[in-house]
Amino acid sequence: MSELAYALADLHEDRVKRLVREKIDAGVTPMLIVDECRKGMDIVGERYKNKEYFLSELIISGEIFKEAMATVEPMLKASKQAEPIGKMVLGTVKGDIHNIGKDIVATLLKAADFQIYDLGIDVVPSKFVEKLTETGAPILGMSGLLTPAFGAMKETIEAVEAAGLRDKIKIIIGGGIVTEQVRKYVGADAFTDDAAEGVEICKRFISGGEINDKGNDDPRGENKSSY
Amino acid sequence: MIKETMTPGERIKAVISLQPVDRVPVLPLITLFPACRKGMTNADAIRHPDLATQAIMEIFDEVGGWDGMAFSGYRAYLVPPRVSAVAMVPHILQPGRELPENAAPQFDERETITFEDYALIIKLGWKGFAEKYYPRFLSFPEDKIIAWAERQFHYYIRDMKAWEAKGVPCLVGAMTLSPLMFFSIKRTLINFTLDLHRHPDKVAAALDAVVGDLIDDALYAIKLTGLSCILLALERGGGFYYPLKIFERFEFPYIKRMVEAFASEGFITILHFDNDWTINLPYLKELPKAKCICELDGTTDIFKAKEVLQGHMCIMGDVPASLSALGTPEEMEAYCAQRINVIGKGGGYILSSGCELPPDTKFENFKAMVNAAKMHLPPP
Repeated sequence: MSELAYALADLHEDRVKRLVREKIDAGVTPMLIVDECRKGMDIVGERYKNKEYFLSELIISGEIFKEAMATVEPMLKASKQAEPIGKMVLGTVKGDIHNIGKDIVATLLKAADFQIYDLGIDVVPSKFVEKLTETGAPILGMSGLLTPAFGAMKETIEAVEAAGLRDKIKIIIGGGIVTEQVRKYVGADAFTDDAAEGVEICKRFISGGEINDKGNDDPRGENKSSY
Repeated sequence: MIKETMTPGERIKAVISLQPVDRVPVLPLITLFPACRKGMTNADAIRHPDLATQAIMEIFDEVGGWDGMAFSGYRAYLVPPRVSAVAMVPHILQPGRELPENAAPQFDERETITFEDYALIIKLGWKGFAEKYYPRFLSFPEDKIIAWAERQFHYYIRDMKAWEAKGVPCLVGAMTLSPLMFFSIKRTLINFTLDLHRHPDKVAAALDAVVGDLIDDALYAIKLTGLSCILLALERGGGFYYPLKIFERFEFPYIKRMVEAFASEGFITILHFDNDWTINLPYLKELPKAKCICELDGTTDIFKAKEVLQGHMCIMGDVPASLSALGTPEEMEAYCAQRINVIGKGGGYILSSGCELPPDTKFENFKAMVNAAKMHLPPP
């Protein structure tokens, strides 16, 4: 693992900036720099999973990653880029304007090499369907913090079904009050109230691996990823 | 039904003081759900708060009553002196104004103080800063917002008296925030988290500069109402967001200072915890005994809270919003009965909604929650 990856994992903002600049000056390819930063984010994810890190460290590392990407982005545009590992349409549902959780998970997903189509807040079902159709993204993520969001999530999934897309995509819902009961009610494939876990679930969506829906140790006795 | 030997007021006073009660009291945080059930839109409830409060009273009668009101009615924001109004009002978006007619009131996460403002706040204190830079926060003329605050206060007291006439005590006479919560709201969660990482000493100095004003503000408000509890809104400083080293330096010392200041004047602090604070629970034992209520929303481990706080602090909660909105009466009864049996054992427990009851609460579920307290006796 490189010094840059560890600098990012240890949240050393200034060191990351310096190392990125040094690597650019030394002619290191931008994709290699991005890869090293992603490895740093992977370490952050591991530390979060091991409860050494908290949401605050996810936020800070996400911001450091974004800054590093802003530095290498002009060079990335000039070079041939690899395909992202997955594409996802994301938004806070109709009637709900909360964006913190959605924005954090979007940052982490981008760091994990997902192409994110973020539709913002208060998104009506037709907008989700339109973007899914346009991009062919195989994942839909919906966020909400209020109970009326449950109805909007259900309505959106019904619209996805009506558009004939349901069999082609996986759907995850997120937010502080979503539970297994809510997942069943709206008809999603998975739920989470944890940004890092959301990223893991999306990676599993892409890899197509079987998920054991009985293996979850959620303290409320509910399965967060029963798909 | 359990044979009752105490009035609601006696029951609540006793449970907070960790004294024996005849049954577990039930005290929901109830605001928009009754208006919603009576067919009002959320915007209507805001435009006609008297009707919204009347709707709460009608639901009260329909379910056979409960033990107390956290707030006296629909108006939850009571007597904000200018300093509080400037702090909070710019962040509340209302249906019928900024939001559609039937949307729920929502919190607007946007930056209203800049990083440079920390230095000014450290120099002037929050009150001095807010007074000097008032127009930056609110477009209303100052006399208009003060008149609005006075009207709110008048109605709050009137509704409080109406509840008292029904034999139902109201608890909350003032609301405030911890300094960390205050700055997290005004800087946004992400900016504030970066501030903590990049400039911890400056943030600490700013927290020091506002805590006294927040204490004075809450004491000023509660003394006008004559009520007994100050609600301290806590979300952003707990284990869901930050490691303990942050909590220990930037959150808990201020919570402690606030609780002790309120307790020294005879007031109870309702620690209104949103999100998961499980890892922070042991610290609460450092707060004065029987001077706080630990109010949980269903995400903190309430069983752990019981284990840690038994005999030290009353626990309140924690019916999740999703259960109220989507569950069945049977599920609700089972959930509440379990809590009465475990958290209520030996006393010190108030059955309540986890945070506010959602507007789309099912009436039958709510009734099942209220009845659970009247039917299930906790072990001694």
